[in-house]
Amino acid sequence: MHEKEKDLIDAFLRGQVDRRGLIRGLGAMGLAASTAGVLLNMGQTRALAADFDWQAHKGKTIKLLLNKHPYADAMIADLDNFKQLTGMNVVYDVFPEDVYFDKVTAALSASSSEYDAFMTGAYMTWTYGPAGWITDLNEWIKDPAKTNPKYAWDDFLPGVKNSCAWNGKPGGALGSEDAKQWCIPWGFEQNNITYNKAMFDKAGVKVPGSMDEMVAAAAKLTKDVGGGVYGIGVRGSRSWATIHPGFLSAYANFDQKDLNVSADGKLSAAMNTAESKAFHKQWVQMIQESGPKDWSTYTWYQVGTDLGAGASAMIFDADILGYFMNGGTNKMAGQLAFAGFKANPAAKAPTPNIWIWSLSMSNFSKDKDATWYFMQWASGLDHCLFGATKMDFVNPVRQSVWKDEVFREKLNKSYPGYVEMFDASAPGASIKFTAQPLFFDLTTEWAATLQKMVAKEVPIDEGLDKLAESINGQLKEAGLG
Amino acid sequence: MTAATTVHRPSGFRISKRVLPYLLSLPALLVCIGILIPFLTSVVYSFQRYRLSQPWARQFNWGDNYISFFTDPKFWNTLEVSLLYAGITVVLELLLGLGIAMLLQKRSTLNNFISIMLLMPLMTAPALAALMWKLMTNPGFGVLSYLASLIGLQDFRWASSPSTALLTVVLVDIWVYTPFIMILLLAGLRSLPTQPFEAAALDGVPRSFVFFRITLPMLTPYILTATLFRLLDSIQQFDIIYAMTQGGPGDTLTVFQVEAYLNFFQSTNVGRSAALMIILWAITYFLSNIFIKNWLRLRERARGQA
Amino acid sequence: MEHTSLLERILRGAALTLVVIFFMFPIAWIFMMSFQTNETILRIPPQLIFEPTLANYTALITGKLVTAAGTLDIAFMRNLWNSVFLSVTSVAVSLLLGVPAAYAFARHKFRGSEDIAFTLLSFRFAPALLVLLPLTLYFQKLGLANTYIGLIWVYQLICLPLILWIVRGYFEDIPADIEYAYRIGGHSWFATFRKIALPLAGPGIAAAGLLAFIFAWNNFVFALVLASADKQPVTVGALAFITSSGIQYGQISAAIVLSITPTLALALYAQRYLVEGLSLGAVKG
Repeated sequence: MHEKEKDLIDAFLRGQVDRRGLIRGLGAMGLAASTAGVLLNMGQTRALAADFDWQAHKGKTIKLLLNKHPYADAMIADLDNFKQLTGMNVVYDVFPEDVYFDKVTAALSASSSEYDAFMTGAYMTWTYGPAGWITDLNEWIKDPAKTNPKYAWDDFLPGVKNSCAWNGKPGGALGSEDAKQWCIPWGFEQNNITYNKAMFDKAGVKVPGSMDEMVAAAAKLTKDVGGGVYGIGVRGSRSWATIHPGFLSAYANFDQKDLNVSADGKLSAAMNTAESKAFHKQWVQMIQESGPKDWSTYTWYQVGTDLGAGASAMIFDADILGYFMNGGTNKMAGQLAFAGFKANPAAKAPTPNIWIWSLSMSNFSKDKDATWYFMQWASGLDHCLFGATKMDFVNPVRQSVWKDEVFREKLNKSYPGYVEMFDASAPGASIKFTAQPLFFDLTTEWAATLQKMVAKEVPIDEGLDKLAESINGQLKEAGLG
Repeated sequence: MTAATTVHRPSGFRISKRVLPYLLSLPALLVCIGILIPFLTSVVYSFQRYRLSQPWARQFNWGDNYISFFTDPKFWNTLEVSLLYAGITVVLELLLGLGIAMLLQKRSTLNNFISIMLLMPLMTAPALAALMWKLMTNPGFGVLSYLASLIGLQDFRWASSPSTALLTVVLVDIWVYTPFIMILLLAGLRSLPTQPFEAAALDGVPRSFVFFRITLPMLTPYILTATLFRLLDSIQQFDIIYAMTQGGPGDTLTVFQVEAYLNFFQSTNVGRSAALMIILWAITYFLSNIFIKNWLRLRERARGQA
Repeated sequence: MEHTSLLERILRGAALTLVVIFFMFPIAWIFMMSFQTNETILRIPPQLIFEPTLANYTALITGKLVTAAGTLDIAFMRNLWNSVFLSVTSVAVSLLLGVPAAYAFARHKFRGSEDIAFTLLSFRFAPALLVLLPLTLYFQKLGLANTYIGLIWVYQLICLPLILWIVRGYFEDIPADIEYAYRIGGHSWFATFRKIALPLAGPGIAAAGLLAFIFAWNNFVFALVLASADKQPVTVGALAFITSSGIQYGQISAAIVLSITPTLALALYAQRYLVEGLSLGAVKG
């Protein structure tokens, strides 16, 4: 590295130059932004090394199992810094998202010691944790000898952090006192509205502020935009993935729950209340009137693709899906806007259910201390900042990154409304499901029931009663109800 | 009895004659026999209450997994859909495959070329083929939806409507696997001796008579082989159905493999998944047994005539 | 067949055209999409006119995928090579094991022969999902997990029954007299098998091998579960273009085209064998 650049970076670290000044300065020296980011991290890597023995596991190799995802891409782009910092080697297997969790389940169920750490979602840890496949990370987080002093565990958004902690008891509250930290949040998705501004203007539609308005807006968009454009994209495939995004976020905004937990810890279905039935009616009506025609096959990439290609006017799905559709070679790149969504007019703020890509440590890892070195670096502030500002590491899970001016400015410049959307809904963002091991059975059946309702094979009231009955049966059979 | 066994062998061969066939077939058997161990392990799983997410509750419940199927409407739906799917695809593919094979029967460079080209769908991995069909049947971007709308099917919902999902998935299955049957039957047709057909033509026997009384009977061993392999695959179909609809809409297409896959990989209910697979295995075993018996009988008869 | 009327010829031609359109249209569409990006693929309604680009192929072949987020490495060519290697070796092993066994079943009725033959076929009944978990466990204990040898062994479940049952038919249709005559001439059993039986059944063996090759090529669940990323076949590689940041239809199409090409080349090369060779009675003449 050239001396001039090194000096500039060190000046930044001493606080003489601010972050923007630094990037601008490096840019003037002819460095691309992402290269500048890596260099900057290199500087911080030297700073990090000052008061913690990062070299304790020098020479060791750990292996990761990763999903093909922008988060993994950002990590890989920054990995040399970790290697330099620790003298460790990191190898990784990347699998496509379509088959990723099959691979994880296969490896862990066979007690494979091949992978030391892996990417996962918080829902999956409700299986992996009780199965004994992953480790409670509190042991490391709370040990100052093993975790660097700048790690700042408190910097993580509380709702996100707590959503990754569960005491393992079916129905146990997330983030409770006795909870085990099954995974470290890495990046997460809030479910809100991404919309096509031009189409909204053309149809004379405002961003909806309630479920009623959303149903009406979607119908008007379907009618008035023309060109085969439909009003609202939501997922509909026969999978848990249909329940957790927009659907559950709006559902939770009406204070509705998936399951009831009795005083003695027994679980029972809670989706056949009068309020839930009313909500289901609206949701089903919205899909029938203004959803994608082949809704029942829709998973995330179809919802996203339609928005990006201008086939739909808005989506009520992961904010980062909208984020990605607003870039790249998508036809609608640069024309999308973002807004938080509050389904219940009586609610104070949006309450998005969230998906959290997290890092878990395999219980079969042969060197957990060394693995933790990687995990604390990968979830540390420096890498988080690098990913957020230089790569597509949205949404970052650390509060300080959301306060970072460079990051906010980057979002404000090309993603109108994103920061406001985030600020409005982040306080209410958390997992709204009841943590229990039958999560996938119940949500898949829920999705199948929704499909039957949309296809008018079963009336909504009857469908929900049947669903509740079936779920109660399954909970009993598994010894949970 | 076959000709082979009645032939007098040269002396000196007799000793090894008894050992030789075992010597020839055992390596193949030995290589495959290893798979019996995991198979038996899975049989054991199927008699257990075995959820990966509740390791402490793992215990033998003997037939409980199976018994619960009898009262489970979902299981009966699975059985019905699986058999229906296998039945429809195999019959349609057989008819279509036979028809195409007859169209291409005449030996010519063009026909040979077409027959190879028609194998291309078979060469496309079913999971990817299904992905492409999903795009082509998309109501907005899909070329097939567009073409359907041109011929008046304005609102055809393909795989997304319970009333057409089975049809759509069967269509993709036909697209992928008909070539398999076609190529086997084409080979069969071309290998038939020419004399009976020439004789029939000379006598002015009606074509339908020739087809039903000469072509079909002589082709039966090929039809059985093709059908057997197709049936084994079809009743175990997963890739196409899962990629197109994940078993939906509703419970329209929850065939055995889709159910067992969801039970294993998502619910991690290993016991139930294994029990489902054992039942599927038993069905396949039963069906193949019938086929093999008929196949052997037919071949014996065919050789008796030769 | 000489007395086909004009009407019949027209009807046959029309039927064949329909068949070709039905089976080839999706292939042709995929082929065209492989020269486009999402921008032109995702149009309402779909259109035929586009400016072709080689970007998809360049990305796949060089392994560099340029996205909005920077350049990403993809291992598609590695996947393709794995597919070639796994399919070729699996079929080769299957032929080595299956052809002698098929000959034994065809020529020698021995005690338990039908049982052994049926047992071998029955391995094809076992759904992969049934044996997956125990197989993974045992593979780990045996050290076969994440090895090509382990995968090739498991692939025998796909290839061996198919080869065995098709090739068996050919051997049965070779008149035993031919071999007998050769044996009388003082040749050993092995020489007879090698010089007479094998060449006569050659086309059938080639054809069965090709079909087994196709089925091995299209399988991916075994490799996915039993091996790490560097040993994944082309199917898994193609799925990598469904990402959180969208699905790349152009690249998936190009991946399909590239993955069909080797098999198609093989089929065209073996054309004569494939069509004639599957004829059980080809040698009866």
